[in-house]
Amino acid sequence: MKFISLNTAAELICFLAALIFLYRDKSAAWRLFILYMLIVVSTETTAILTRRIIPNQHLYNAFLLAECGFVSYFLYNMFRPFGYTKKWLFAWWGIFAVVYLGELYYFRGGEYPHFVAFTVNIMSVAFVLGCLWFYYVKLVDEQYEPLMTSAQFWWVSGALFFYFGSTACNVFFDYLAEYDHASYYSSTRYVIYNILNIILYSLWTYSIVCRYRQRKLSRS
Amino acid sequence: MQVSPKEIISLIALTSFVFLIAPIFLIRYVLLYNRKKKKHEEEKKAMVKTLETELLRTQMEVQEQTLKTIAYDLHDNIGQLLSLTTITLSSIDLDDRSKAAEKIALIEDLTARSTKEVKALSRMLHSEELLSRGLFSAIEFELEWMKRSDRFRINFVKPTFESFNNDSGKETIMFRLFQEIINNIIQHSKATEIFVNLEQIDGTLKMDIRDNGVGFDVAETLQRKNGMGLHNIKKRAAIINGTAAIESRRGTGSSVSITVPY
Repeated sequence: MKFISLNTAAELICFLAALIFLYRDKSAAWRLFILYMLIVVSTETTAILTRRIIPNQHLYNAFLLAECGFVSYFLYNMFRPFGYTKKWLFAWWGIFAVVYLGELYYFRGGEYPHFVAFTVNIMSVAFVLGCLWFYYVKLVDEQYEPLMTSAQFWWVSGALFFYFGSTACNVFFDYLAEYDHASYYSSTRYVIYNILNIILYSLWTYSIVCRYRQRKLSRS
Repeated sequence: MQVSPKEIISLIALTSFVFLIAPIFLIRYVLLYNRKKKKHEEEKKAMVKTLETELLRTQMEVQEQTLKTIAYDLHDNIGQLLSLTTITLSSIDLDDRSKAAEKIALIEDLTARSTKEVKALSRMLHSEELLSRGLFSAIEFELEWMKRSDRFRINFVKPTFESFNNDSGKETIMFRLFQEIINNIIQHSKATEIFVNLEQIDGTLKMDIRDNGVGFDVAETLQRKNGMGLHNIKKRAAIINGTAAIESRRGTGSSVSITVPY
């Protein structure tokens, strides 16, 4: 059983970086990042361990709740200084809950167990819009900020790469599941998600380091 | 024509690749724009610094000009009055009572004039304070001072309101521009009449200064080394987002119009 791949290594490095650099962070959203990365690593490990025994759709369906909850909350925290209130976050969580439960229990009730691919599509689109909106807000902001070392900017960039890049795979998720017959480790899906995950966690690790440096600089 | 699953999967892979490339360009654009924002901010800071430096220099020049005027006045006016007083005093013959009384009356008059001159000088020393009452009042005071010499006939037209909403930096630079132009007229124009006109046109203040002197070739003067004064006028007007139009021809006098937004 192969535990360490490029993908899992990237996740593990990101988790360790979060643990080392963020545990003293003042922001709840950044500290929550440690917990989220722990969930990511645990989910991935559990999936590797159990995939030959039981289907892991349930596991990833459950993980989706953590993913949506964390990424949405994190994005909301970035928009908060620009005057966006909590109602946006709750409205989005409401929409997500309706789509998620709808797909899980009604629309695909016949093919149980199944992965909530449509919900993932909706979530990805929402996050891409969130990331693009963040860029827009930064562009119109009169205050100059050095983006090359901005933790928020690289966090959003990582998310944008992942959610935008996975659009095609998400849209054709069912098709790929049916026709992408090569062994999973050489399948198109696997290669694409591997690349996306490596980009995502590399940029997030960099953003964690930037955040740590920002905190150190602001203290000195 | 039926498309095979392999082809569709290749298409999905290609689309994913394109979707992966797009954010790279997007991030690059955002970073580029941000760099321009930084450059713009630096330019803005440099402009503010230039304005501050120029303002400081202008304030010093206004003070210097005031001191020069005072020095001339002490030498040419008060100095003369006091010398005359000394001579008159030393020529008093106490035995000749009627002449002595006449001379004492003259000394009294000379002393009164000296006191008046000293008071005027004292007001002049507070030129910055004068500027705090407004640009128009400062210009008016300066022109009143010039009128005393009887060398020029002065026509001054000003609006009824005070200008610039407490932008003292702008007022100081405008006042210094006025002083520089007037100095040029005094030194080079051989004019007998000066026209100063201040007016408000569509959110701008226009200061028009004309004279009936000998005039000069503007283009030629701007090219020469001694054209620095004219360049300075243009540069200073530009610093407060204004413009300076200099018009003159030999034998027909000259005119300088400063237009600044306020």
